[in-house]
Amino acid sequence: MRVPYSWLKEFLVEMPKPEALEAALARLGLPVEEVVRVGRPPAGVVFAVVEAAEPIPGTELKRLILNAGREVVVVSGAPNAVAGVGVAWAQPGTELPGGTAIDRRVIQGHTSEGMALSPAEMGVGDYAGGLLTLPKDTLPPGTPLAEVWADEIVFDVEVTPNRADALSILGVARDLAAALGIGLIHKNPTPDLRDLPFPIPVEVWDESGADRYLVAYARHVKVGPAPLEAQKRLLAAGQRPINNVVDATNYVLLEFGNPLHAFDRATLFDGLVVRRAQAGERLVTLDGIERTLTPEDLLITAKKGDSTIPVAIAGVMGGANSEVGESTREVILEAAHFDPISIRKTARRLGLSTEASYRFERGVDPNLPPLAARRFLELIQRWGGAEVSANWIDLGGEKPRHRVQFRPSYANRLLGTTLGKNEQLEALHKLGIEIRGEAEPYTALIPSWRIDLRIEEDLVEEVARIVGYDKIPETLPEFFPAPDNQGAEAEYQAEARIKRVLSGLGFQEVINYPWISEGFLETVKAPPPTLWLANPTNAEESALRSALYPGLLRNLLTNRDQPALLIFELGHVFLRDEAVHLAALQSGPYHRPTWQAGFGEGYYALKGVLEAFAARLGARVEVHPERYPHLHPGISGTVVWEGEARGWIGVLHPEIAEPLELGTPVIFELTLPLPQGSPDITDVPRFPPATRDLAVVVPRTVTHLEVAEVIRTSSGPHLRALEVFDVYQGQPLAEDEKSLAYHLTFQAPDRTLTDEAVDGYMARIIEALTQRGWRIRG
Amino acid sequence: MLEDWLQQIEEASSLEALEAARVRLLGKKGELTQKLKQLGKLPPEARREEGRRLNEAKRALEAAILTRREALKREALGARLAQEALDVTLPGLAFPPGNTHVLTQVLAELVGIFQRMGYQAVLGPEAEEAFYNFDALNIPEHHPARDMHDTFWLTTTPKTSQIEGAKLLRTHTSPIQVRYMSQHTPPFKIVAPGKVFRHEATDATHEAMFHQLEGLVVGDNITMADLKGALLAMARALYGPEAKVNFRPSYFPFVEPGVEFEVWWTNPKTGKGTWLELGGAGMVHPEVFRAVDELRRAKGLAPIYTGKTGFAFGLGVERIAMLRYPIPDIRAFFQNRIPFLTQFRGGA
Repeated sequence: MRVPYSWLKEFLVEMPKPEALEAALARLGLPVEEVVRVGRPPAGVVFAVVEAAEPIPGTELKRLILNAGREVVVVSGAPNAVAGVGVAWAQPGTELPGGTAIDRRVIQGHTSEGMALSPAEMGVGDYAGGLLTLPKDTLPPGTPLAEVWADEIVFDVEVTPNRADALSILGVARDLAAALGIGLIHKNPTPDLRDLPFPIPVEVWDESGADRYLVAYARHVKVGPAPLEAQKRLLAAGQRPINNVVDATNYVLLEFGNPLHAFDRATLFDGLVVRRAQAGERLVTLDGIERTLTPEDLLITAKKGDSTIPVAIAGVMGGANSEVGESTREVILEAAHFDPISIRKTARRLGLSTEASYRFERGVDPNLPPLAARRFLELIQRWGGAEVSANWIDLGGEKPRHRVQFRPSYANRLLGTTLGKNEQLEALHKLGIEIRGEAEPYTALIPSWRIDLRIEEDLVEEVARIVGYDKIPETLPEFFPAPDNQGAEAEYQAEARIKRVLSGLGFQEVINYPWISEGFLETVKAPPPTLWLANPTNAEESALRSALYPGLLRNLLTNRDQPALLIFELGHVFLRDEAVHLAALQSGPYHRPTWQAGFGEGYYALKGVLEAFAARLGARVEVHPERYPHLHPGISGTVVWEGEARGWIGVLHPEIAEPLELGTPVIFELTLPLPQGSPDITDVPRFPPATRDLAVVVPRTVTHLEVAEVIRTSSGPHLRALEVFDVYQGQPLAEDEKSLAYHLTFQAPDRTLTDEAVDGYMARIIEALTQRGWRIRG
Repeated sequence: MLEDWLQQIEEASSLEALEAARVRLLGKKGELTQKLKQLGKLPPEARREEGRRLNEAKRALEAAILTRREALKREALGARLAQEALDVTLPGLAFPPGNTHVLTQVLAELVGIFQRMGYQAVLGPEAEEAFYNFDALNIPEHHPARDMHDTFWLTTTPKTSQIEGAKLLRTHTSPIQVRYMSQHTPPFKIVAPGKVFRHEATDATHEAMFHQLEGLVVGDNITMADLKGALLAMARALYGPEAKVNFRPSYFPFVEPGVEFEVWWTNPKTGKGTWLELGGAGMVHPEVFRAVDELRRAKGLAPIYTGKTGFAFGLGVERIAMLRYPIPDIRAFFQNRIPFLTQFRGGA
């Protein structure tokens, strides 16, 4: 909401300085996003009257003969360059705010002495689509415009969706008056009303869509440019001046916050009907676009015989067919209150947010239409010489004020304050809230413009806003949480711990987006996605990730310049259900080369990390051989965590790695939560251990895990540790054989084991191994 | 003769040479040993005299050997140690230092501050139902407040034309409020850290993904003063004893009153203080309690929230990280360039 300082000043008895204003607005919850200083027109720009405008054949241009104190001829391509209006003429030698120097120049072979300017070229507004046009008697021709054009300060105020009441100069002034204790000037428009009969019948067929529909009437309107002062305001507020009638509607919209619409009476034929659209009905709106309508849309229609022809989309935009233009003589003004949800649905579906729809969907004061209409009639009389009618139609009428209970004690209870009753009631009173009752609970009568005040808590906020949030002290709540909250943070703690442990083991955490290219998921043979962004910012990256490792592979690609990469991510993946995963990737050696060679590479390096990670979490982990589409078929397996399959580990399949030039990364990915480990806690053994070595020759396809399992189950009660110390393939073993050598440690808690006892255990182990068809070596 | 022998010992230049000299002189066939063996051939008078002389010589030789051996051992050790000397300034074995992401560090610090005040950290899903993200938080469909959330909507059929649906990527961590309350009994204090998503073109200050920390305290008489106190405690823990908290009216549909909170922060580099907008906060809106109770009823739980009071707050984590470190571009957080990520060591 752009608020020109000079306009706001019209509503306040005593106007704060601009700096004080900014701070006051921030304290009210209307922070100023930007303060814009709008300068005056540059020296050299003078008022001139267009005496004649002659089209130049074969071009889009016109030759304008101007009276600028003397006759000058300029060439202009502006559509609104017509005879009989005043314009801003930049004489040769003028320098425009953008730095352009105006000169006598030749446009498509036609000489132009200086230039007629648009508001944007003058630096007084954004509108660049046409000339600034003014009533021709605005000033004596040749008067420098800078003499009558003061600098303006414009506050761009951020208005949150609840504060529809602040989407007007009056609304901002009202809040400032309450907060600063300044008097508010109430405008009372006094048009000279005539007893003219209202010319057409008006019907509202859908009262849920338009619970108040007020129409007013004016005739003998001379359509032309609005006065200079009004246009300055509109331009400063970011509006584009059109003509005095349309400008008057926009002026009232900005001033009071009620969107208005003016129809050319002639286009309404036999009457005006407010109704819902039929499916497929069409209307070309003011912006020249044909809109296809649905039964959700509320329409203003013109009655013609038995049919009703759409002339406007209610509360959103008028139709091109009913636009007020030069030929308009009679005006029907609409000042209505429309259903916010209906307006919002229509505006959203059409992708059409206008000043009107923006306000209606947030909520406009339903009791504002009479004031807004009177103000419009006053302006149109003043600016266009119109005769305005005292007779208007007000369907739906005045709405009652809402009543809300208010207890000062509750305000103190919610705010943690000890504000006095009178102080609180006074704050509400300043905002136009009427208090009824002698004691708690009071009844607060809410002003019709505060559609955001509906419950007691809303009033508590108003008290705090006016009294000031700095009155709230700082305390800390003391209580014993209800028992069922115990343990609520287990998931967070587990995740935080995993991150600490894995980073402690040398891995760098990364954080990737959850969206990724579906093609990349396919390339790296990840599970197919189950969820997509319906409205991605980048159509290529619209799938939600089904695993974390594709992201890690991308990180590997972007970090190709690194000699080695040790990374992990803990994040959400989106399979049939959302799940939390942990993935780690190692590429290159764990110990990177320095002046010593790097080492610790390949599958067994990352598997060692996984084992240390599990050990640190007190859990047992095993890898069972298994094939996965994305992993090397001979170097991959399922990660079994505390007896549960929780993920996989392996070397990336060369078919994926080679085309992407990824080397041979090793990856694991696990699904959280990881089952809690339960380490056996025993006394440190006091009796000495007995150790034996054992080498077993097995077929190559037999795993260490299978051999160890046979040893463990046959070893008797006192096998304390089993360690592989050698794996051997080659002579003198057969081609398809390997030898696994183990250190076995036996230890009893209550005695020293005798050689005979240990020999007995060994005999049983060897027997079990040989029963499997394996042999003992050496 | 003794002189000559002692000289041989003195001249032994290694332990091996010394041993050879010892064998030559004192071994079974050594010169002195031979002489001692031949004593018996001498007449008794001369035998006694010669015996005394030879034994003295033997003791002298043994002492000299011992001294020489010690000296040679010291020399050998010195030579070995000199041989073993390293350039201790060369770098050690390259252990990877490892690190958590800088945002994990900042979040852990923030969560830790609240944990020390008795808050529990809880989590929630990222693919959220519109009900939890909006409706239950007093942001019904067709409410203009939805415009404040540029939303990534989700679909189970790719390339659909249907945009708004039932599922979305959560636009804030606030849905965790509803999820938590629907399953737990007040009073409690929780914080909820997590990723949130906004449908937004990215630039140096805007990201489509960022992190928030949500806070929620509900009980019988929780006040806005308690909210201010909680945020002041956080501000002091983050920025030191001089930190202050300020409230400015604002609007978040799930709180009433609703405020933006600012923290007085002194830039350590310039020494200049300024108010930083860190997030939004307020008292839990009765509509939220009502929605929670409705949800509880549907789950067969007692509706216990109506009539309670509570406060909630939410703040952005990237902002805090960017103020702490000179990180000029928010996009750096998720580009995952190793040289960027590994800088932030020593954090929580």
